[in-house]
Amino acid sequence: MRATGGLCLIVAFLLCCPLLHAQQDVPDIGTITIRDLRDSGDMPERPVAYTMAAETAFRKGLGVAEGGPGNFSVYASAKKEPPDEYGDVKAEDVGESAPALGSSSDPYGDVATDEGVSVAPRPRIADPLRPFNVAMYHFNDKVYFWVWKPAATGYSYVVPLPFRNLFRNFYRNLTAPVRIMNNLFQGKPGHAGEELAKFLINSTVGVGGLRNCAEECFGIEGRNADFGQTLGKWGVGPGFYLVLPFLGPSSPRDGFGFLVDWAMRPQTYVGTEFFDYQNVGLFVHEKINSTSFHIGEYEALKKAAVDPYVSMRDIYIQYRTDFIENR
Amino acid sequence: MRRALAGLMIFVISMVPFHVFAASALDMVKTNANSVLDVLRDPKLKGEAGKKVKEQRIEAAAEKLFDYVELSKRTLGLNWNKLSMDQRKEFVELFKTLLRNTYIDRITAYTNENVEFTREVQLTDTTTEVQSVVTRGSTRVPINYRVIKKGDDWMVYDVVIEGVSLISNYRTQFREILGNNPPQVLIDTLRKRVGK
Repeated sequence: MRATGGLCLIVAFLLCCPLLHAQQDVPDIGTITIRDLRDSGDMPERPVAYTMAAETAFRKGLGVAEGGPGNFSVYASAKKEPPDEYGDVKAEDVGESAPALGSSSDPYGDVATDEGVSVAPRPRIADPLRPFNVAMYHFNDKVYFWVWKPAATGYSYVVPLPFRNLFRNFYRNLTAPVRIMNNLFQGKPGHAGEELAKFLINSTVGVGGLRNCAEECFGIEGRNADFGQTLGKWGVGPGFYLVLPFLGPSSPRDGFGFLVDWAMRPQTYVGTEFFDYQNVGLFVHEKINSTSFHIGEYEALKKAAVDPYVSMRDIYIQYRTDFIENR
Repeated sequence: MRRALAGLMIFVISMVPFHVFAASALDMVKTNANSVLDVLRDPKLKGEAGKKVKEQRIEAAAEKLFDYVELSKRTLGLNWNKLSMDQRKEFVELFKTLLRNTYIDRITAYTNENVEFTREVQLTDTTTEVQSVVTRGSTRVPINYRVIKKGDDWMVYDVVIEGVSLISNYRTQFREILGNNPPQVLIDTLRKRVGK
């Protein structure tokens, strides 16, 4: 008797299994309807009639195509129609951080960002000085191909890799105050401590910062920080897009940040003035040295772009926004 | 005893559908990425002939891994609706070719980067972000793959490198083109770009 009961249960379950499968395979028409209804309460800005109407039209259309109004034929035809993959979308900015387009088998699916997921708006930057910026972009592009790249290439022939590594470590170690201070400004004493520890280890065991012993021996990776980021953390927006000669993509906020960081760099005080041939010379060497590790990266970004100027601007704002919000 | 057995049977059977459902996005991307890395590390594939074979195998892996239609839709956003059906299909093909041409050299130029998949973060019901770190020398580059559930598979629809989203970047560019021009101009621009 008990065995029969168990068998019944198993049979019942086996019968249910296809249903489970079905539910999983079915495009999200059903659930989305529910979500529409649910969302219409707390998201009044979404035109619920619109989505509902669209969906009804969708069902009707498919029903007609199938010659039957049955729910299953709707699902079946939705699955059978691959061109539907190319159907319309329902929203711009489908929330890159939490995208929620309908699945391909349900191209008319709602683009509501699902509940429980906060959607950061896609970072954008105003570009009122576009003609100037475009000119500066072309200027910097030429400077890269005519000055930085040949200089860095020649430099890397003359200076072997181990020495370039020493220089890179040395310069990075010297600028530790910039990162320590900015981490403190941002209320991140832990990160500041990491940078301080790194600075102390590399300055001593790493022989004046020539070796990056903190990372190689102790696994301290360090935490980058700059004043533009600090301002961003304090709630200052970038302002607008500004391409600086030689320095590249920036904004009033990050340009000002660069000046503040410059003041915090010990190298600056090698010279007698805030900017003179000595500290700027050191900066140029630092740039050439670091460029020698990154030859080909700018070219790759440019090659990938359809409109390089717009692409660089977008990379700049996406990168800086991520740097401010997520680190 | 029998009851326990029956209970066990039910338990085992009930695991079946859910087991399929729980295929991890991270494992999926990792498996595909590792198969590409194996091809790249293959010492037999050298020189021009080897490069051809490498390219073919990478393309095959990419075909399995990327959902180009989803990627195109999300790249165009609402502008997608302005394209006719034929334009949409052509756009997907052109965009795919553009991405292939752009990145295949970068991938085959692989030397000895170390790729480590760290974790996955669920974004929505159907989408997940698989996070990885590529280490080359002393530089670490975080690369995140955004994947969407398609049937039992996870398909990549966006790649985020150091906080810069690929589809977001192209969207900004395409929007500028589509702002003042009909969709055909975008198609023509892409055609020219991929040399067709």
